[in-house]
Amino acid sequence: MTTRLKRKLADIGIDPSSAKANENFCLIGTPLPPLEKSKDTGEFVPLWKQEVRDEKGRRRLHGAFTGGFSAGYFNTVGTKEGWAPSTFVSSRNDRAKQKASRPEDFMDEEDLQELRDSRTVVDTTEEMDLTAGTKAELQRRDDIDETDKDPLTSALEAAMLPPAKDSAGARILKKMGWKIGQGIGPRVTLRQRRLQDLQASTGRAIAAEDVKLGPDDEEANKHTYAPRDTPLLIVDRKDNFHGLGYRPGMSLNESLGARGSNAQQGPSISAGFGLGALNDADDDDLDVYDSSSNSRNRTAYDIADREDDDSIAISSKSGRAKRATNNIRSTSAETFRDGTLVLPGFVLSDKPVAEDRWFPLPEIPKGWTPNPRRVWGQTQSDQSEKENIKADAKEPIPYNKWKSGMSADERGTMLGETPLPSAPKSVFEYMSQKDRERLKNITANLKTGTPEPASTPSPASIRMPSIEPHIASAALRGFQPFTSDPIKQGRYTAFLQSQADPSSSITLKPLPSQSIIEFNKEMDEYAQSAQIFKPMSGAMAGRFTSAAVVETGPQIYEGLHTPSEKEQEAKRQEEERKREEEKLSPKEHAAKLGMYGPMTREVKVWQPARLLCKRFGVKDPNPVSETAENGPSSSYPSSSQPDDTNGTQLDPLQTPGVEVGASSSGTDINGGKRDLTNIGLGEDDTQGRDTLTYERPSVDVFKAIFASDDEDSDEEEAAEPPEPPQVPATTKDIEMPSIPVDTVPDMNTFKPAFVPKESRLTIGSDEKEKSKNKDKKKEKKDKRKALVSFDDEGDEGESLSIKPKKRRKEKEKSKDKDKDKDRDKGKGKEKKHLKESKKDDEDMWVEKPAPPGVQAMDVDLVLDEDRKVGEPVPQVSSDVDGPNNAHGPTRGRKRAIDFM
Amino acid sequence: MAPSRGPQPLARSLHATLANHKGPVNVARYAKGSAKYILTGGQDRTVRLWNASLGTEIKAFTAHGYEVLSISVAHDNAKFASSGGDRSVFVWDVTTGMTTRRLAGHMGKIYAVEFNEDASVVASGSFDATVRLWDLRAQTRHPIQVLDEARDAVQTIHVGSTTIITGSVDGHVRTYDLRKGELRSDYIGHPVTAVVPTQDSQTTLVTTVDSHIRLIDMTSGKSLNDFSGHKNASYRCRGCFGYGEASVVCGDEDGKVWAWDLVDAGLLQPNPPPKVHEKVITWTEHHPSDPNEIITASADGTCKVWRQPS
Repeated sequence: MTTRLKRKLADIGIDPSSAKANENFCLIGTPLPPLEKSKDTGEFVPLWKQEVRDEKGRRRLHGAFTGGFSAGYFNTVGTKEGWAPSTFVSSRNDRAKQKASRPEDFMDEEDLQELRDSRTVVDTTEEMDLTAGTKAELQRRDDIDETDKDPLTSALEAAMLPPAKDSAGARILKKMGWKIGQGIGPRVTLRQRRLQDLQASTGRAIAAEDVKLGPDDEEANKHTYAPRDTPLLIVDRKDNFHGLGYRPGMSLNESLGARGSNAQQGPSISAGFGLGALNDADDDDLDVYDSSSNSRNRTAYDIADREDDDSIAISSKSGRAKRATNNIRSTSAETFRDGTLVLPGFVLSDKPVAEDRWFPLPEIPKGWTPNPRRVWGQTQSDQSEKENIKADAKEPIPYNKWKSGMSADERGTMLGETPLPSAPKSVFEYMSQKDRERLKNITANLKTGTPEPASTPSPASIRMPSIEPHIASAALRGFQPFTSDPIKQGRYTAFLQSQADPSSSITLKPLPSQSIIEFNKEMDEYAQSAQIFKPMSGAMAGRFTSAAVVETGPQIYEGLHTPSEKEQEAKRQEEERKREEEKLSPKEHAAKLGMYGPMTREVKVWQPARLLCKRFGVKDPNPVSETAENGPSSSYPSSSQPDDTNGTQLDPLQTPGVEVGASSSGTDINGGKRDLTNIGLGEDDTQGRDTLTYERPSVDVFKAIFASDDEDSDEEEAAEPPEPPQVPATTKDIEMPSIPVDTVPDMNTFKPAFVPKESRLTIGSDEKEKSKNKDKKKEKKDKRKALVSFDDEGDEGESLSIKPKKRRKEKEKSKDKDKDKDRDKGKGKEKKHLKESKKDDEDMWVEKPAPPGVQAMDVDLVLDEDRKVGEPVPQVSSDVDGPNNAHGPTRGRKRAIDFM
Repeated sequence: MAPSRGPQPLARSLHATLANHKGPVNVARYAKGSAKYILTGGQDRTVRLWNASLGTEIKAFTAHGYEVLSISVAHDNAKFASSGGDRSVFVWDVTTGMTTRRLAGHMGKIYAVEFNEDASVVASGSFDATVRLWDLRAQTRHPIQVLDEARDAVQTIHVGSTTIITGSVDGHVRTYDLRKGELRSDYIGHPVTAVVPTQDSQTTLVTTVDSHIRLIDMTSGKSLNDFSGHKNASYRCRGCFGYGEASVVCGDEDGKVWAWDLVDAGLLQPNPPPKVHEKVITWTEHHPSDPNEIITASADGTCKVWRQPS
């Protein structure tokens, strides 16, 4: 820490010897490694440096998984851990030794172990079908049966096709000589076999002697036969929760033991849930409690449906049984009662077709005439009568009374049970007693306040639809929809007012001829139209204005309208008035008479856009008006313009200071000498002379720029363009009156010669003061800066306070120069040089440095000085250059155009 | 102005019928230069380019969404402007058949569109009672200037070298003189539908819907001649000068083509002229150089080229 800094810190108030001040943030050297090396070196090791070892410490493949072939892993090939590639050697001797290498050859013991584990002697995944050919087979057969119903094919299949997979027992049996379709046991004689057949068919024990053998069986009797296959008793697995003996789809009668007369027992699918077309009716889908399945008419169309629709394919057995019956029924010839045959494919319905009941028309008494009005009146009066009565009857039952039975609590109290400690049911229980009372009070007040208690909203009560106040007030201002009906409109506005201001006492009451319902409807309508016709809000509202006159369209008279004489008279008068009006215009009159010419012609000034003139290749007819347009904002309003207009329009004697230059506008003389070839070659005699005789712009120019707006009129006057020579007299005549005459005296006051000294001084002094203040501030700022900054020495602060002054002087000069430069834009460069030298002269003329703020003032001074400078220049030349000089840049530019 | 030997008889033998338009043909203009081609714009939203001598259609320019009411061809025949119901002026490239500019800004349908001499500015007059002058050199979206003096729809525009003449439904012919910087508005008293100045810009043929065509002296505003006899009460029937500006030709609402002597305003033979179109003749234009050719466009969907039997 340097001593200087220490000193400064001490100045600020920080103890330089404190630890904070001495804290060191620098690190020198490399830090020592941490004392303890952490176990988990989470540091990055490149892939080729990572080593993966198994639990035995052997290098393994990358450790993302265990196992795998380690043979070819990094650099291990050829080493004793790694795998040695065998080279092919062709040799006749070792040909026998050669064998194809198996994957196992490249496996290490782990992989081999895994391989061994994965190999299973017995395929555990495969289903061990102990009863092969029984359950699975039967199931399969069932499936087939369901799809094709031919019993012959199914029998053939059962006989010929082997079971899908033989069980171990079956295989053993087969080895012992058993064949599919045979029974198990020793071979039997033909008689015994017949006996078995009979027993199986009749179900009775039959003595062997009863079996008779036909004469052709003699040959057959010589052989022994395999016994018949014993049909297995298959017990269905019970995987439902029905009671024993219950079949799904069994009707109540059936379950009770009585066999339903109806042959078809379609399961009644519960009505509540739809079954998809592809879903089979499951047990869960069946309507267990539907007892009406018997009475339900499931006839013709149901059957027809079932023929092709398997969505009603029912649990297997019953379905098949039904189908069988269907087949039978459809094939068996049925007859109608009269004996005619039923068409094939049709089935007689069990139930007769329900006939529609027709009631004969009541006999109309003679002389009766329809009078609907009477009926309407009656019903209406009934309604209005009933309404009040009905109000109570129709009252909707509150939800807590929906349950008609007694609740558990009620029952409990009746039985004298102690009520269970249950959770409090309403919000009120959580409230303090005070709050509850207060709420009660409020509700009570509300009820008394409204004419009818809100708790009983009867259809006959007056409902006042509420709209938000802002919408209502907006709708009040917006479109009035009911202008055609003044009464309605009045009510509408009243409604809106009542809604817009809730505190207002306006209340709408139904009209005497209006029922309450109608009134309510009306109110609803109002509310709706208020919503619709509220004016657009926000951004949209600003873009549109509502029409001042609402067009209601022409008044339409009912029926055939014959205009009354009055109307006709009025019309005629109106037409006449119109005609007169038409005739009033002399122009039109002339046109009507065909007197075209000056009567029908109007001539106006028209200012084509500058660009348009350019495009048409036409000179701008009124080019200066353009400069007049942007006069106030133009960067170089030349002082000559006011002078010029002054010279032409005002008494020149009144403006002695300027008249010299203005009255002798000898552009022609000058223009003759000025030539493109001359410019810049130094041969021009007048070159630079205008610079020498340069006059500062008069103060009014500055005022025009810097003064407040109330002096604008003068400025405009000043900026009024001189009339271009090519403008015809007509336009001039028209333009002339536009120049305000009354501003002339003002203008004089702004001539430099006529500005009273006091005012100038006051202006100047004001500005002076301001600038002085500014300066002071600046100085202060500088000083503050010096305090804050680190790099400057203490003694520099003093010099800083002085420096700006010098700089400012320079700045002023440069500013002046800049200004001049601005003014003289468009003039040659060499002029600038000259001007600078002239500037030096000027500076010489300045006896003491101008007070810093008086820049505006200083212009005046300089102007005077300029004049002094300009005096030695011969009068003639100043005359010559006067306008040129005075016109400044605009003129210069114009001249350049002229030359072109 | 008028040749000493009196006006040449009007070409009245049909040379070709251009009948591809599917509705009324609103405008038919000759191309510039040797004027071998014709551009027609119709109610069917197309502008069609025809070979006048062969009577064949060369190209159909389809981009308009509404009827085409006006066409103007640039001096070099490279582009043309069209306007109509879609409230924007379409500037087309003739060869590619694409619009190069679409100048939108008018509030109503644009009845008239006209290039200036070097096609750097296009003027459009619209139902919104304004004439907008669009700069085609710069890619600005805004018009150079809007002439809003008209009190009613602007029906026709002529852009001269230093003047812009507009005819409006408010019955005024307005002459905007760029050089003088003044606007001369001549009140005709009836809706002006066409303004055709003579070559020397001293006089202008003003067609109004009171069945009159007037020759107005542009310097004084006086009516030099009044041509009447035809029927033109409700449609825009643009009349034109005959060859050498010795005669005045105009189609009328009955489908007849009328011709007058410019000097004595007498009807040329045949009088009355034969009916050559089924419906109102909307546009009549004389060939700029060929003394024997004239085209008429009609609401019957055809545009006919008439030539003198040689």
